[in-house]
Amino acid sequence: MKQHIRTLLEDLLPLVDFDSDFLFSQLDSLGVTTILMVLSQEYGIQLGAKDATPRNLKSLDSIVALVESKLADKK
Amino acid sequence: MARLEDYIELNAKRFPTTLALVDATESVTYGELWARITLRARELKAEKALVIRASQSVEFLIDYFAAHLSGSVIVPLEHDIPDKAFDDIALRVAHADIPAEVADVLFTTGTTGERKGSMISHRAILANAENLIDAQGFSHGLRFIVCGPLNHIGSLSKIWPTLMVGATVQILDGLKDMGAFFRAVEQSPIPVATFMVPASIAMMLRFGREELERLASRFDFLETGAAPMPQADMEELCKVLSHSRLYNTYASTETGIISTHDFNHGPCVAGCLGRPMKHAWLSIDDDGIITCGGEQRMTGYLDGPLIGDSVTTSDRGCIDQEGRLHLAGRKDDFINVGGFKVNPVEVEDAARSHPSIADCICVGVPHPVLGTSLRLLYVPTEGSVTGPALHRDLSRHLSLRLERHKIPILFSAVPSIARTYNGKLNRRHYQQNNSDKI
Repeated sequence: MKQHIRTLLEDLLPLVDFDSDFLFSQLDSLGVTTILMVLSQEYGIQLGAKDATPRNLKSLDSIVALVESKLADKK
Repeated sequence: MARLEDYIELNAKRFPTTLALVDATESVTYGELWARITLRARELKAEKALVIRASQSVEFLIDYFAAHLSGSVIVPLEHDIPDKAFDDIALRVAHADIPAEVADVLFTTGTTGERKGSMISHRAILANAENLIDAQGFSHGLRFIVCGPLNHIGSLSKIWPTLMVGATVQILDGLKDMGAFFRAVEQSPIPVATFMVPASIAMMLRFGREELERLASRFDFLETGAAPMPQADMEELCKVLSHSRLYNTYASTETGIISTHDFNHGPCVAGCLGRPMKHAWLSIDDDGIITCGGEQRMTGYLDGPLIGDSVTTSDRGCIDQEGRLHLAGRKDDFINVGGFKVNPVEVEDAARSHPSIADCICVGVPHPVLGTSLRLLYVPTEGSVTGPALHRDLSRHLSLRLERHKIPILFSAVPSIARTYNGKLNRRHYQQNNSDKI
């Protein structure tokens, strides 16, 4: 899943370093919106303003954890 | 009262303990604000102009007012402006002949791809502030949340009326942390107002609707502008903020703040931008082109001739029987990306300086949130390998030359670029055949 999310997001946000632990600081509102849109469409999960926190978008690992948590909630 | 700083000084006497400015790290009362402005003004050298990157902070606004107080012109630039562009502008400002009445030089995208500096006088700042106070009801008991960049007229023009009436400005660093915006609304002890471009409203409706509904009673008013707002989003916003005043405003750096329309209490019609404000007037010629005048307009462009009584825009519109302006589009090729007007020529020039790009055209493509985003169609040079690696390299190349909102989201290699019979880029061809969506 991690590699798939990386590929999805790297194509749309080519200026963002997805190996960074300071990923949120590299994003603007468009970047955050793109991540929420792409992940909600790809995994059929509901993401909202409450999920777009600096902690949840801190790194690729934290984004993967967010998706896994939302998928677990769906079951 | 000749300058906005005169009102801040007056408010420091009338409301010394009222909060004037709030950012992520500090809160400043009117008494403290005036003391810090006067101290900073003494530190600044008596220079012709202060060219500065605008940060989303109280500190930046203190520099802004201190520059005015010390007799300097302030030139606030994007916080992420590349160093070379910053240096080029600083050089232009240093050599320019700037009239004494000018307070600010605000740089915008020019028609040739080169940035143009709009000179804004102290009188225009006051007229803009009075326009908004009169038309939208800025009052002392209000907290205005500013989310947009402070070098942009869309944000600065909200600072002016808020401080003129002795209300509070809260500065946020954009809207990427929507939670921070909602906390600011929730924690404000007084009603709030804000300005959002239509793309930000679309983002809020899509990802923050529940929070907006929960906090709806706290919004005195919300203003939008700088780009067309879809009818569906307007109607949704009326449902969510059913008791607030919702304004759609016509303005630009050059014309100043011209007209506004409350689409929650008047007709909810996309493109309706209301009647001219207190100091403004507008007219429309036989081709539908809008001309604006009034004390809120710019003095002229840096290095250019001073303007007369009016500014002729590139916007097309009409006036209805009630005297309200309706916008119908633009006559130039600018692409509006989330409220920022992008000249595609500037993007294309920067892209062509990449060794793998033989030819290119920058076009707008529909985006579900932004309304429009940028796509670069390019012809690779012989032997270049196209694909994600080149696109990432091209993005980095562009980021060294352009601000972030000018960097395309999509890149596509094509065999050729359509041109007209005389060799110019055929933009109309791509506008008519562009069905791609993000």
